[in-house]
Formats: sequence, C-alpha cells, structure tokens
Amino acid sequence: MRALKTLMVFLFSVTLCLTFGVSSSMAADSVKVGIVLPLTGAQAKFGEVEKLSFDLALEEINAAGGINGKKLELLIEDDTGRPEVGRSVVEKLITKDKVVMLGGGYSSSVTYAVAGVCQQQEIPFLVNTGSADKITTSGWDWIYRLNPPASHYADAVESLLVSTIKPESVAILYENSLFGTSGATAFEETCNKLGIKVLLKEGYEHGGIDYKPVLTQIKRLNPDIIYMVSYIMDASLLMKQSREMKLTPKMFIGGAAGFTLPEFVENAGKASDNVISATLWHQILPFPGAMDYYKKFLSKYDRDTEYHGAEAYAACYVIADALKRAKSFSNTDIKKALSETDMMTVFGPVKFGTWGKMINQNKADTYVVQWIDGELELIWPEKASTKKFQYPVDWLKVWGY
Amino acid sequence: MDVLIQTLVAGVLIGGIYCLIGIGMSLIMGVMGIINLAHGQLMMVAMYITFVLSSYMDIDPYLSLIVAMPALFLLGCFLQKYLLNPLMKIDSILPENQVLMTVGIGMVIAEICRFIFTSDYKTVQTSYGGEAFFIGNISFNVPMCIAFIFAVVITLVLFWFLAKTDIGRSIRATAQDKEAATLMGVNSTRITIITFGIGSALVASAGSLLIPIFYLFPDIGGPFTLKAFVICILGGLGSTVGAIFGGLTLGIAESLGATYIGMGYKEMVGFVIFIIALVFLPGGLVGIKRLIKS
Repeated sequence: MRALKTLMVFLFSVTLCLTFGVSSSMAADSVKVGIVLPLTGAQAKFGEVEKLSFDLALEEINAAGGINGKKLELLIEDDTGRPEVGRSVVEKLITKDKVVMLGGGYSSSVTYAVAGVCQQQEIPFLVNTGSADKITTSGWDWIYRLNPPASHYADAVESLLVSTIKPESVAILYENSLFGTSGATAFEETCNKLGIKVLLKEGYEHGGIDYKPVLTQIKRLNPDIIYMVSYIMDASLLMKQSREMKLTPKMFIGGAAGFTLPEFVENAGKASDNVISATLWHQILPFPGAMDYYKKFLSKYDRDTEYHGAEAYAACYVIADALKRAKSFSNTDIKKALSETDMMTVFGPVKFGTWGKMINQNKADTYVVQWIDGELELIWPEKASTKKFQYPVDWLKVWGY
Repeated sequence: MDVLIQTLVAGVLIGGIYCLIGIGMSLIMGVMGIINLAHGQLMMVAMYITFVLSSYMDIDPYLSLIVAMPALFLLGCFLQKYLLNPLMKIDSILPENQVLMTVGIGMVIAEICRFIFTSDYKTVQTSYGGEAFFIGNISFNVPMCIAFIFAVVITLVLFWFLAKTDIGRSIRATAQDKEAATLMGVNSTRITIITFGIGSALVASAGSLLIPIFYLFPDIGGPFTLKAFVICILGGLGSTVGAIFGGLTLGIAESLGATYIGMGYKEMVGFVIFIIALVFLPGGLVGIKRLIKS
C-alpha cells in the first residue's frame, strides 16, 4: 500500500514537472493567443473559412519574424456554435493555457457569452465577426471589435435607398437569431427615419424548407422593396421561392451574411440575378493586400473566401501589431496597445474608438454589391464601384419567364 | 382566400414528405419498442448518396432512389444486427439503452459525413429545381409535387407489403405482440433487422425526394429526427396509418402557423401540437379511434 502511494506521488510529480516544464519552455519563445471559432456544428462552414484565414496570416507573421523575435502561437478552440461551450473553452484558454489575449468570435450569441468571461477575467478580446450591437454597448472595456456592429451593416444601403431607389414601403424578413434580429431592428429604425413604411417585419427559424406562406403574404402587401437578413441557404431558398411565386418588388436587398457568398449564386441560380446586398468587404476594394489575400487563399486552399475570412485575416494582423507594440504581455499593456491601434489591413483602416454607445469599436465602411450575370459587382458607393447599378429591374424577364 | 389556399397547398405537399419520415420511425417504434434517434441522420446519409450520384455521375435525384433506398436498407439492417440487437441481451439500469445507442450512432454518422464532405452546404442543381406551375393564383412547385406523388406511391407499396406479404404480416404480428409472434414461429430477431432496414429505406426515400428542394450539410439530421418524433406521437406510437395523419397534420399546422402566427413560430406550432397531443390524446390517432369505439 505504502509502495503504491509513493509510486503515485512520484508519478504525479513527474507529470507536474512535465506539464510545467513544457509550458514554461514554450512560453519562452512563443506568445499564445486563444481563438474561439465554431469548427463543428451548423456554423462550421464559416468557422473554417476564418480558421484557414487565421492560419494563413499566422504563417506570414511568423515567417516575417513573429512578435519581436518570438513566435506567435494561436490556440484555436471549437465553440460548436453554442454559448455555453464557448464560455467553457474560453475559461480553459485563460486559466489553463494562460493565453495573453483572445480573438475570433463568430456567432453573436457565442461572442457575447465569451466577451462576458473576458471582461470578468480582464483579458483583452478582439472580436472579428460577432456583430450584435450589445457586444460593444455593454460598457465592457476589455472587448474590442474589428467588424462594424449589425446595426451599421446597412449604412451604404441606406444612402443607395435615399439617392436612387426611393422606396415608399418595405417588408423585412430576418432569421430570428441575435444577428438577424439586430440587423432587422436597425433597418426598421432606418426606414422609420427615412419615412419608409414597414408593411411587415417577420422573423423565421433558420433552416426552413418552405417560405411560401410568408412570401404569399408579402405578395399581397406588395411592398416596394424586400429586405432580408439571412444566412446562405435560407437566402437561396427565399430568392428561389420568390421567383416561383413571381414576387416582384422594385428591389430585393440582402443584409450581408448569406447574400454575398458564391454558394448563393450556385444555389439560387437565375433567381440570384440582380439581387443587391450590403457587404463589409470585397476583394476588389482598394485596400492594400485585399486582392493578394483573396488570391493567396484561393491558391492555397483551393476555395473561395469572403468577408468573414478577410475579417479573420485582418484580425490576426491587428493582434500581432498590438502584441508587437505592447511593452509587456501583461493584460493592461496589451489593452493599452490595442487602444492605440491605428493601422491599415486588408479589411480597411483599423482604429478603435468610442462612438455612440459603443466602446472600442472600429469604424468600418460598408458597401453595396449586386449580382450581375453571376458575378458579384461592387455598385455602391459609386466612386468605388466596378459596375453600374442595374436598376430598375424587370424581374420576370431576368428570371426567364 | 388565395393566401389560405396557398398555405394549405404548401402544408400538404411538405406533409407528404413528413409522412415518409414519420412512417419509417413509426415502423421501427412499433416493432422494437424504441425511438430511433438516429433517424434524421440516416436520412442525411441517403441525401449524401443522392448528392454523390447526381453530382459525380449525373444521375437524376429521383432515379437515385433505386440506389439510396437499398443502400440504407442494408445500413439499417447492419445497425440493427450488429449494434442494437446485441444490446437487448445486456441488463442495464436503463431499460431502453438501445435508444442511447441510436443517439451515439447518429453522432458518429454526422461526424463521419463531416469528415468526408466537410461542413459545406451542398445542393443538387436540377433543370426543374425552380420550376413552378400555376393553377389560378396558386403556385405549385414542381419538385414538391413530384415528391408528393412519390411519397404516396411509396406509402401505398409499403401498405401492400405489410398487408399481403409473409414478411409484412410477420412484422405486424411482431409489432402487436412479440412473444406471441415468436411462439407462432416468427423469427423476431430477423424481423427486427428487416424492419429497421425498411424504416431506414423509407427515410432514405424522403431524403432523396428532398434533395431537389432543399440543401444538405452534416447537421441536417437533428431537426428531422425531432420532426419524425413529433409525427409519431401525433399519429400514435407505432401506428403507420397514424404516421400519415401525423405527417400531414404537422405539415399543415406548420404552414398555417407560418402564415397566421409568424414564420418564427412555425416550429413552435409543431411542438405545441405535440404537447397538446401528449396531454389530451396520449394515444394519438389510435387514441381517437379507441375513443370513438368506446
């Protein structure tokens, strides 16, 4: 019995030595940053694009000398798209892996939960996709956000509406998630401000098969424009079924997310033509490295990337930049460095500031794109556009009736 | 009026597919007395088979039924024979540990599919995918209608099979009273294997029929397992006729809910009906029949 006890103590101490020995030797030549993304579950597709973009940026940063000679190390953890899982992996990253800061954050619900943990533990967290407003309006000073909040996704659309389409009524359809609700509510406020009548505002559960009941209702109401905040497959089905029902408003507008992905045109086919969408990024934007990033991604992984990937890629550079400038890797020094960020990325200029109710929020421009002959073209703001805005549209003719 | 009719049409058409999913689960439930919680995942496998056949070999999704249904029949037989039946012999705290096994099977299947096909959304593009015809102001989606017709035909064939063939009669006998059936010389172990196979083949057909309308990714199974479960409860556990009733009811209820209560409450309508059925009509359709008789 005694021998067994001794043996146990011995084994235990060996394990302890090994763990600490290894981690301290690692800490000597690398800086650890935790990244939370959905790598399994329903959102895994976008999580993957972001993970690959982080990997791509990491490789380049380390090839160029890392963080002042130290290697940058990303610990990418899977949040499975569920807030409670997100919380627990972040707690693990902070307490066990001792990461100096956090990045990632895809879905709004998960990001919000993770941000709460970071604020409590006083660990800086750079959000790159989670876009619900309350992530940066909760007064959490340890949380920084690279992407614009969901309520500003439609800023460019707003100016297009005012100058060109001039609609009188609108129907709003949105996925009843934190992201969808946030975007739809913001657009409703915009419409009220512009004096556009909101005839219908309806949420739906992601993953539906048949949207005809609600589309029938919209057809009866006959709004000038239809605004949809949807993910990729819902977006495709909504457009396909609108075509089937010969639903013809002046314009179909997507509120970012699904409407800008290559899968949208693949799945919706003819029904995708001439649909416009708000977007946060496009590879043709005149930011240094934007097109390069797109091409590198395409050649390395043999697949397309889009604004989610660009956000992740830019976030990795922002993290590296802040760590390089930080006096030490203590949480307060990194926070200070993040606050002083002023740099150019593939996603545009990044600078965190306080505006409105938001704190530590980067102010990024938004754009409007339109699907023209199966290609996504930038149409607004006009000075950056690649093609002229196709308007008005004879939908029945476009759809081949 | 148009809105109401369009809503009902949409509900009935989708209800046809729900029926196929529900009957498969109901059959398994009747014979084995367990809920197959991997049901939706089996459908997902069939959808991937259809997807591979049509995108790499240009086989029409409807034609691929000939491959997907037998393939899933074999997969179902395999699962029952080597994973579920051995569990019956083991004593455990939970009497229904086979149910837990099906949950595990479902997860493994989903992750294998993610490993092979990644989490990307896949669709099959067909020339008729977006076609619709109009009767008056009501639009009928062509693939939906084809799916509905297929669903009716497959159901009729199944009923003929259950009523007229030897194996079919054995299945019904086992479902009614397993011990008595065994005493009468029915090889009940073999029947459970065949039943699980048939149940899987039925849900496979639903998967293949859904492909031209819907899309596909590894996590698509879960929601359909839930739907199948609701349908079975509505129809009365283990009743195949009940499952048809349950499927149509769910389809129409969801559709009406989406139009008149709100798109976001569509799923909720289904589950509220589910709870109402559990509280007031624990036997589902079979329960109603019994009520009328007494």
